[in-house]
Amino acid sequence: MAEAGPARAEAGFWAKTAALVGKDLRLEARGLETLAPMVVFCVAVALLLAFSLPDPVRPGRGALAEVIAGFLWVTVLFAGLIGFARTLESERRDGALDSLLLAPLDRSGLFVAKAAANLVGVAAVEAVLVPLFWLLFDLRLGASWAALAGVALLVDVGFVALGTLLSALAAQTRSRELLLPVLALPALVPVFVAAVELSADLFAGRGFDALAASGWFGVLLAFDVVACAVGALTFEYALE
Amino acid sequence: MIVAEGLTVVFGRTVALASIDLAIPPGVVGVFGPNGSGKSTLLRVVAGLLSPRRGRVTWRGSPVTARAESFRRAVGYAGHAAGLYGRLSVRENLELFATLCGAPRARVEGLIEAVRLEAVASTAVADLSAGVRRRAAVARALVGEPELLLLDEPYANLDDDASEAVSDAVRHWRAPGRTALIATHGAKRLKAWADAGLVLQGGRVAAWGRYGAEERPSRRGAADG
Repeated sequence: MAEAGPARAEAGFWAKTAALVGKDLRLEARGLETLAPMVVFCVAVALLLAFSLPDPVRPGRGALAEVIAGFLWVTVLFAGLIGFARTLESERRDGALDSLLLAPLDRSGLFVAKAAANLVGVAAVEAVLVPLFWLLFDLRLGASWAALAGVALLVDVGFVALGTLLSALAAQTRSRELLLPVLALPALVPVFVAAVELSADLFAGRGFDALAASGWFGVLLAFDVVACAVGALTFEYALE
Repeated sequence: MIVAEGLTVVFGRTVALASIDLAIPPGVVGVFGPNGSGKSTLLRVVAGLLSPRRGRVTWRGSPVTARAESFRRAVGYAGHAAGLYGRLSVRENLELFATLCGAPRARVEGLIEAVRLEAVASTAVADLSAGVRRRAAVARALVGEPELLLLDEPYANLDDDASEAVSDAVRHWRAPGRTALIATHGAKRLKAWADAGLVLQGGRVAAWGRYGAEERPSRRGAADG
């Protein structure tokens, strides 16, 4: 007969979500199966650009700052896609997706957990990549590091939310590695255009152009809200 | 009570379940049959993980669906795959699912003991043998104290002692009103203590019946429509 177990003190939504994030981070810490290729890719691209671009310390470096900003964010974009492609890899490999789908957790929590784990990965990549670009390309950020961090955060939230959702969709197909960039790249255009526009000003040491910046911040905020809402509402259908 | 009405599942051109009608009362029910008879498919449909082409399954009067949190709270499922994270230890896996199910940590230690995994509780699941992983999977399915337990081949790769440990854990879980469907090739092992048996053959019910002292499943029992 069943044991008379103690009364349940059930964890809430955020505690369960935090447990799932902790699980994903622990798995990554033990295998570095996602972060290592992302970082290696970023370092390789940065070095390749450093040896192939003209001397950054030259007249007219404002124009170059826009080019460098473009390269930085494109590198983040592709590194992120490398990571997102593995969003559900541990569940697929270990057959744990059914276990998660049957867990009594609001399924938006699965989305939040996976997105949070991906956000940590993208942020870690940026923590390596931005200083590397600063060293290699003589970025004159000055006091603008905090502003750049703010831009990166706004970019990352929308990027990760959409990438996580699309990775779940792509994971249901045989050609998931191919399908994810095909789905994600067109949808992410506004985010990365905004990212380049905002960070180019910072890289050139100009600070934000107030009028233009407010428009791009609006684009990023709107994208973040829509991507998070759509992801939270539709992730469970993407998983099925 | 699990009720299946006209349950039909088709994969491509293969009919996995062919218009099954069943009414399964609470208790431990063995699901038997050769490979490809539809045992695993039946369990996945009852778990709400697979939608039938036609027909429906209800449990306690409500259609089963994994989208309903109230249903997920009541079901424990261990499929063919262990459903455990290979890089986490047995204890870490069970603690994770205990948190998700709202079960106390003490339950984890009790289950580790029940399925005799004390010696490997801190070992990564990927480093364990298939038989030990099966036992851990059963423990995971039980961690939320489910009302509906679905086990697919829980005795696969297990020796007699380990099989007995799994049976003990399920018997310990068993309570009035609770239902377990256990798909297995090891009919003899389960018939000794199950309440009823269901035999599938080619996606159809070949036999169904409750066990008495000397009873065994009879051909085309009353619950098979």
